Amino acid sequence: MSLSLPGPTPAAVGTAKIEWVRRRSPVLDGFVRERLGDGALDGVTIAVVVHLEAKTAFLATVLADAGADVVVAGSNPRTTRQDVVEALKERGMTVVAAADGDYESWHQEMLAAADYGPTYIVDDGAELTLRMARHRPELFARLKGVSEETTTGTARLQAIAETGKLPFPAMTANNARCKHLFDNVYGTGQTGIQAMLRLTNRQIAGTHLVVVGYGFVGRGTARYARALGAHTYVIETDPVRALEAHMDGHTVGSPADVLPTAEMVFTATGGVRAIGEEDLALLRHDVVLANVGHSDLEIDVEALRRAATSIVHPREAVETFRLGDRDVHLLSSGALVNIAGGSGHPVEIMDLSFAVQAVGTHYLATHELRPGVHVIPEELDNAIAVAKLRSLGISLTQTRANQKEDVKEMMDGGHHDE
Amino acid sequence: MSDAPPGDVSDDAARRIAWAARGMPVLSSIQEGLTARGALNGLRIGIGLVLEPKTANLALALQHAGAQVSVHCRGRLTTEGVARALEAAGLQVYAERAATQERDAELARGFFQTRPDILLDDGAELIRLAHREHPDLVEDMLGAAEETTSGVQALRVMHEQGVLKIPVIAVSDSRIKHLFDNVYGTGQSCVMALLDITNLQLAGRLVMVVGYGWVGQGVARHAAALGARVIVSEIDAVKALQALHDGHRVQSLSDAAPDVEIVFAATGVAGAVTRAHVERMQDGVILCTAGGGAFELPMGYLNALGTATEVRPSVTEYATPAGKTVLVIGQGDCLNCSDAEGNPIEVMDLSLSLQAFAAEGIATEGRNRPPGIYPVSPQIETAVAQARLRHEGATLETLTEELFAAMHSW
Repeated sequence: MSLSLPGPTPAAVGTAKIEWVRRRSPVLDGFVRERLGDGALDGVTIAVVVHLEAKTAFLATVLADAGADVVVAGSNPRTTRQDVVEALKERGMTVVAAADGDYESWHQEMLAAADYGPTYIVDDGAELTLRMARHRPELFARLKGVSEETTTGTARLQAIAETGKLPFPAMTANNARCKHLFDNVYGTGQTGIQAMLRLTNRQIAGTHLVVVGYGFVGRGTARYARALGAHTYVIETDPVRALEAHMDGHTVGSPADVLPTAEMVFTATGGVRAIGEEDLALLRHDVVLANVGHSDLEIDVEALRRAATSIVHPREAVETFRLGDRDVHLLSSGALVNIAGGSGHPVEIMDLSFAVQAVGTHYLATHELRPGVHVIPEELDNAIAVAKLRSLGISLTQTRANQKEDVKEMMDGGHHDE
Repeated sequence: MSDAPPGDVSDDAARRIAWAARGMPVLSSIQEGLTARGALNGLRIGIGLVLEPKTANLALALQHAGAQVSVHCRGRLTTEGVARALEAAGLQVYAERAATQERDAELARGFFQTRPDILLDDGAELIRLAHREHPDLVEDMLGAAEETTSGVQALRVMHEQGVLKIPVIAVSDSRIKHLFDNVYGTGQSCVMALLDITNLQLAGRLVMVVGYGWVGQGVARHAAALGARVIVSEIDAVKALQALHDGHRVQSLSDAAPDVEIVFAATGVAGAVTRAHVERMQDGVILCTAGGGAFELPMGYLNALGTATEVRPSVTEYATPAGKTVLVIGQGDCLNCSDAEGNPIEVMDLSLSLQAFAAEGIATEGRNRPPGIYPVSPQIETAVAQARLRHEGATLETLTEELFAAMHSW
């Protein structure tokens, strides 16, 4: 509640948030700082275009501390936190983003970031990369590389590469094991459910919960939901993934099979219109829709608006659409619910993901790679995991020499035949 | 219930009250019956539950049934908009979010001046206060209902010592309450509140749950579901054995203290976590309370250090003389209520429906009952369970003659 005491300034609040992150990011604050300390990024302009909150701010800080000229923008107009922006500005960093923007102001921010003529981009959804290709072709041609965060962005970069129009190497952080095995499954899985429950104050145990799409994010969401007592249903178009969902213990079915009883629906396809106009008729009264995929368009919000006879806001970040005699609730206007409607991924998860991003950017700066989409080498991926394990006080066992020989013999078809 | 939410004092709170009503099919379905039977008509009911949108719906349902409803709640547990929305709906509200301890005491005195016939209490705070400071009022009271396990515990002690002057229905003793509210409601919302407040991940963390009662079980279950490695500490050997069978490690708090990263106190008992425990814990350990209150943590010791700093909203950091830091969530209060939105709606639908029935029970029976602790009747439990199952589209098995015969043969 507002008291008469003057509160801390937004910059101070942002700084405290970033410090909270630093203290829980042993990989970025240790291993990554060391690796980037060779001067390779000195004076290099890097655009960091990721959801602009405290964890991203710490990544930007680590890059800046390594000597890079960092320009920071947000990867979605709804996820930028103003206190964090103020804190970064106070540290002397260039920030071209402000909270409470819309798509038009965000587009302008992206162009402003482009106009700094970055050498490298740490991108999310390839949002800046695509805009530079379209709107700033001469600056796009001067880019030396991109490190991309998401599955969606990776697919976009691959699509450009296939048409031969990607003139530089791109690292897909997403394809590193230290990213997608953790960030997508545990990060989005935990926090998507968390945001759903916080925004609605609903209970999850016993709920009929549908996950659309069974990629890494979808399986994380379904896993956490079921562990917390939900009845989980999965909609998937890929037959192998559908079979996997079935064997993981979820009920798999078509929209017509599973949507009519759904009380909570998460879209996690990474595509668009996963819940489209034709699905609206299948939704039951009082269903809550939330998106955990990259695109704001996974739930066809425009179709909802067209179909609704009234739209009300019963709670913060909740919109209720009246469709005939049914109410359909939408969280965070269909934007990534864990980021737009929560505090984003857990700190520990982003320590890993951003370590991959930082190490990937450093790798681009220190190696001559051909144009196309690349992944950080396995030994770097492993080194990040080792740094994380070490911070937890966990040590690994080594393969014994005689074990290696035994394995070799087995592979050669030796001594198991008798 | 609140189809047309009350008042223009706080439109936002009114909308949140209406949102909660959507998830409360049981309360909604019993409201007409309460009104039609008329047992509450003209009675003064005083509510001391955590003041937020779900309890607001109970208050409105009782008002709808003809009762004159007054509400008191400590500032820390009051949602200001909801308090004002209820006021606008014609209830007598003695609760202010910004109230100091002195102001809270003043508000409580005002509340008792409404001379409630029935108290619906949380933590037995109002019942105890009434016995201490308003004995004349207690003489005239029909009775009370108590929401929490720790409150009932205190009332039992009062009754054993012959101090309790009114009949009290122990809502928390009902299966409909503790099997769901404590386990799923408090369990889910305390674990989720911790994650919302800290932005931390639970997968892989070592989490200590002190006490394996219903709340402790719920916290342990939800933490484990989110990937935490859970250690339970218990003084009761059977509960400890149960924790072991549920897949948790069992260790005393002193033994586990150096390893744990997050501690949930879930005992409802003062002094469950001591200064000596905290001194053995690692740098950056997080302490919080689920279900009970700050009395479970060594807040006196921590506050006396004089090193408290608020490092994030709802997170206070204390530096110890040994050079370590200890983080306390929500000043040690039960964190889902003090620093989040309380239990989930659906589970409060069950608990608050019991409260509504309990109020009716006291209205009709209270005069004839000697002081003591009474259970919620099985008929009421069945009625609440059936209402909820009906809403979920679940179907029950019928007790056939054959089954009945089989169950009564030997």
